[in-house]
Amino acid sequence: MNTNKFISLGVLAVAASLTMIGCKPKGPQTVTTGGAAEKVYVAPGKYDEFYDIVSGGFNGQMSVYGLPSGRLFRIIPVFSLFPENGYGFSEETKPMLNTSHGFVPWDDLHHIALSQTKGEHDGRWAFGNANNTPRIGRVDMKTFRTMEIIELPNSGGNHSSPFITENSEYVVAGTRFSVPVGENRDVPVSSYKKNFRGTLSFVSVDPANGGMKIAFQLATPPVDFDLSRAGKGPSHGWFFFSCYNTEQAYTLLEVNASQRDKDFILAVNWKKAEEYLKAGKAKKITNVKYAHNYLDEKTHTATSEMLNEVMELDIAQLKDIAYFIPCPKSPHGCDTDPSGEYIVASGKLAALIPVFSFKKIQDAIANKDFDGEFGGVPIIKYESALKGEVQKPGLGPLHTEFDGRGNAYTSMFVSSEIVKWDLNTLQVLDRVPTYYSVGHLSVPGGPTAKPYGKYVIAYNKITKDRYLPTGPELTQSAQIYSIDGDKMQLLLDFPTTGEPHYAEAIAAEKVAPNSTKIYKIEDNNHPYVARGEKQTKVERKGNRVDVYMTAIRSHLTPDNIEGVKLGDEVYFHVTNLEQDWDIPHGFAVKGAANAEILIMPGETQTLKWKPTEVGVVPFYCTDFCSALHQEMQGYVRVSPPNSNVPLKFSTGKIEPSGEK
Amino acid sequence: MNQPLNKISRILIMIASLALCSAYVTPLWQILMWAPQYPEGLEMKIWINTLTGNIKIISALNHYIGMAHIEVSMFPEFKYMIYIVGVIILIGLFSTLINRRWSLLVFFFSLGAAGLAALVDFYLWGYKYGHNLNPDAPIKVPGMVYQPPLIGTKQLLNFTAFSGPDIGGWVFIVVAVMVFTLLVLEQFYFKKNDPQ
Amino acid sequence: MKKTSLIVVAAATIIFACSPGKPQVAQEDTSIPQAETVPAPAANQQDPRKGLGEVKHVTLKTPLEQDRVRRGEEIYEMKCGACHKLTDERLVGPGWKGVTQRRHPEWIMNMVTNVDVMLDQDAEAQKLLELCLTRMPNQNVSIGDARDVLEFMRSNDGQK
Repeated sequence: MNTNKFISLGVLAVAASLTMIGCKPKGPQTVTTGGAAEKVYVAPGKYDEFYDIVSGGFNGQMSVYGLPSGRLFRIIPVFSLFPENGYGFSEETKPMLNTSHGFVPWDDLHHIALSQTKGEHDGRWAFGNANNTPRIGRVDMKTFRTMEIIELPNSGGNHSSPFITENSEYVVAGTRFSVPVGENRDVPVSSYKKNFRGTLSFVSVDPANGGMKIAFQLATPPVDFDLSRAGKGPSHGWFFFSCYNTEQAYTLLEVNASQRDKDFILAVNWKKAEEYLKAGKAKKITNVKYAHNYLDEKTHTATSEMLNEVMELDIAQLKDIAYFIPCPKSPHGCDTDPSGEYIVASGKLAALIPVFSFKKIQDAIANKDFDGEFGGVPIIKYESALKGEVQKPGLGPLHTEFDGRGNAYTSMFVSSEIVKWDLNTLQVLDRVPTYYSVGHLSVPGGPTAKPYGKYVIAYNKITKDRYLPTGPELTQSAQIYSIDGDKMQLLLDFPTTGEPHYAEAIAAEKVAPNSTKIYKIEDNNHPYVARGEKQTKVERKGNRVDVYMTAIRSHLTPDNIEGVKLGDEVYFHVTNLEQDWDIPHGFAVKGAANAEILIMPGETQTLKWKPTEVGVVPFYCTDFCSALHQEMQGYVRVSPPNSNVPLKFSTGKIEPSGEK
Repeated sequence: MNQPLNKISRILIMIASLALCSAYVTPLWQILMWAPQYPEGLEMKIWINTLTGNIKIISALNHYIGMAHIEVSMFPEFKYMIYIVGVIILIGLFSTLINRRWSLLVFFFSLGAAGLAALVDFYLWGYKYGHNLNPDAPIKVPGMVYQPPLIGTKQLLNFTAFSGPDIGGWVFIVVAVMVFTLLVLEQFYFKKNDPQ
Repeated sequence: MKKTSLIVVAAATIIFACSPGKPQVAQEDTSIPQAETVPAPAANQQDPRKGLGEVKHVTLKTPLEQDRVRRGEEIYEMKCGACHKLTDERLVGPGWKGVTQRRHPEWIMNMVTNVDVMLDQDAEAQKLLELCLTRMPNQNVSIGDARDVLEFMRSNDGQK
C-alpha cells in the first residue's frame, strides 16, 4: 500500500467523524419578535378593539376575550352548568338544558357564528353548536346570556354548525354522524349504506328577536359532515358543506374513511330548497321529538317545549338543490372568501389546497358537467369547479380565513404553521410556525364580507412547553399574529378556558354601546318577584315553601325564617332590588345540593333547597356587594316534620322574649 | 508483516480491544427527530441488542403515513450482534498475544468490515422501513418516501431527522482510528527504530 | 349684585371643573311630562341648597296631586323602602319623616336621580354618607318618577 494514500485515507476518516459531530442540528428556534408588546398592550382602564367570542369545546361554554390584549372578560355557559352564576342550577335556567333525552347539562361547543346583516357583523347574537347531543344555542350580545337552545332531531353529533347566512336568515346544523332515520332505527350498524342518513338542518332566525325554528331538514346520503360556510354576495343563497367518510365506513374510520383520493364538498342551493318547501315538496316527519328552550327576559325564566314535527326535503330526489364537488382527502375547512366567489377547501390529509370558483360551479351545473352521481346526487367534475390549487402549502391544511385584501390564511395542523397565500395567484407568500398544532384560525370580522385584516388568531391544540406546567393537564392556548404587514408576526400567547375550536371576533363598537346594565325592576314579571320589601313573604303549600326574598345593600329580607320542616322543599326566590350597574347579589344556603345563584340588578332567581337536618341553617350573599357584605346574612330554622313551629319571617325584628 | 509489535502498540491494542466492551453498555447509534410540535425532539437509540427512546411515540406518528411499527423483533441483528462484537474483541486481544503485525491488520480489517456491514445493514433496514408503506395509510403524499438518513440530517415532511453514532459507535470509530494509526506507525516508524 | 354674580360664575367654574369625566345623564324615561323641571348643564347650577343635577326648578302644587302620590308610593315600595322608613327612624338611610321640610324639593330630586355626583360633591349629601356609612345606590329612578316620589314624601309629611 502506498504510504501517502494510506495516511490521507486515515486523515479523511478522522475529518469525516468530526464533521458528523458538527452536522447534528439543533431543534427549531423559538421566534422572538420586536415591538410585539406594544401592539397588544391595552393600558389599564382602556378598552380592547375587539370582542373575541371563543368556543369552549368540551367545557360547553363560550368565552369572551378582548383583542389584542387576550384578556378574559366573561365565561358564558351555554350547554354546561356554571356554579359561578347558577346557570343550570337555578330553577329558572334548568329548562335551558332540557332535551329529548332529559336534562343534559354538558356538551361540546365547537364553533361560533355571530349574527350578520348584509354580510357584516351586526352585534346581536352569538350562536354555538353542541357537538354531542345535537343542539344550537343562541347568546344575546346585549346581556351575554344564553337565551335559547334548540335541539336537532335526526342528527348524530352536530359538528357542521352553526354557520350563518349573510343576513342571519339561517344557522345550519350538518350532522357529523349519519344515523338511521325513519320508523325503524333498530338496525345493524353494518347497514350504514342502506339505513343511515345524513341531515342538514336549516334553522331560521327571527330577525326581530332571534327566535330559532327548524325551517327544514335536507336528507342526504350517509357521510360525515364536517364544516360549512354560507355563500355571500354573488353566492348568497348557497351553502357549502365539507364531507368526509364518503367511503361510508362505519368502523375504524381512521383508516377506512381515508381511502378515497377525493371526498366531497356539498353545494346546497337553499333558496331553491325554500321554493320546494313553499311548493309543498317537503315531507312532514312526525316521529321525532326535540326540545326548544328559551329564556323570557321579563320573567327571567326559561321554558322548555317538546316539538314533534320537522319538514324534510330529500336532496337525492330533488335533483337540483344540491351537488357534490370532489375535494381531496377528507376536507375539514370549507370557507368562502369575502367576495363570495371562491370556496377554499382544506383536505386535512391532502398536500394541496383546492380553490373552487362559484361562477364555474354555476356554469358546470348549467352545462350538466357531471361525473356521475353519489347516492343519487350529481357530482360536478372536479376540474369544472376548480379555480386552481395552492401547491405545497404545508401539511394538514385545516381551515382558512381572509384579510379582505386578497390574502388567505390557512392553518396547517401537521406542520404546525399558518400559511399566507394569494387568493388570485394561489402562490404561498409567507409562513409562520404556531406553538403547537394549530386548529382553526380567526381573523376579526371572521367569515363576513368585511374582515378586519389586522390580526389572525391561531387556536392551538398543543401547548406543551409554552406555559408553566400544571401537571399532566395543560392549559389550552391561542396566539395572536399581526397580519397588517407583508410578514406575519407573532405578538402574544394567551391561555384559554376549555378547548378553543373556532372563534369569531367582532368590533367592540358594534357591541359595547348596547350592553345591558340592569334589568328594570318595574318590568320584572317573575311569578315569584318581590318588587320591594313590602312584597316579601313566605308561603307554604303542602311541603313546598316559597320564600319571596329581596336583596339590597346590605341585607336580605326576610333574614329570619322559622317554621320550615324536615321534608320540605324550600324555594328561595331572590329579587335583587338594586338598579345600579354592576351590583349583583348572590345567595347561598348551607347544604344546598345545587349551587349558589347570582342575581343581577332587577332580576329574580330561585334556589331550591331541601333541608337535611334539624337545626338553624345560615344563608348569605355570595357576591361582595358593599362594605357591609359580610353582614348580609340570615338564618332559617328547620324543625322536625311533626313540629308545630309556626311559619314566620322577618328582617330587623328584635324579639326580647327570645333572650329569656 | 511478520514482525512482532511494538510494546506500546501491544498495550494500546489491548486497551482498544477492552474499550470495545463499552458497546455492551452504551447505545451505538441514534436517530433524533424534531418537528414544530416536538421542539424538545424525539429520539431512538440503537443498542447492541435492543432499542430505547421514544419508540412508541415515533411509531404512533408514523402510522399516519403508513410506516410499520418499530419493534425490537424487526432487527434479527440483535440476536447475533453481541457475538460479532465479542469476536472482534477477541481478535483484538489475540492480536496482542500473536504479537505480529499481520494480526494487527486482521484486527483492523475485522473492525472495518463490521462497521461497513453495520452501515449497509442499517441502510437496507431504513430503505425497507421508509418505502414499505401501508397502502391504507390515512395520509399519502404522492411520491413521498420516508427513508431515514444513513448519516446526517434529512427533512421528512414536518420532521427534521438526524442519524449518527452514539457513545458506543464513537468508541468503535475511535478504536478503528487508533488501530489504523498504530498500523501506520508500525509500518513506517517503529520499523526503523526497532532494534530487532 | 356684581359680587354675587362673580361668585356664581366662580362656583359654576369650580363645579364644571369638578364634574366627573363621564357625567351621569342617562335618563331614559321621558314619557312622563316634566313641565316643572328645566334640565340644563350642571355648570349653570345656581343655588347649592338645590343640590347638583338636572333638576333646577320644581313647581309644587297645592293641593297634592293624588295620582303622583299613588305612583310615588309604588316606587317607594319597590326601590326605596328597603332602606328608608317613613318615620324619622334611620334604617340604612335616614327616615323620611320631615324630609320635605329639611330639604329643598330640587335637592331631594337631584339626590334621587343623580346620587353618585351628589355623594361625591354635595356637602349635605356627604354629611349623610358620613352618618349612614352606606352609599345610597343609584336606583335608576327617572326625573318623572322622582317627582312622584317627592309628592309621596310631601304626603308622608302631612301636606294636603
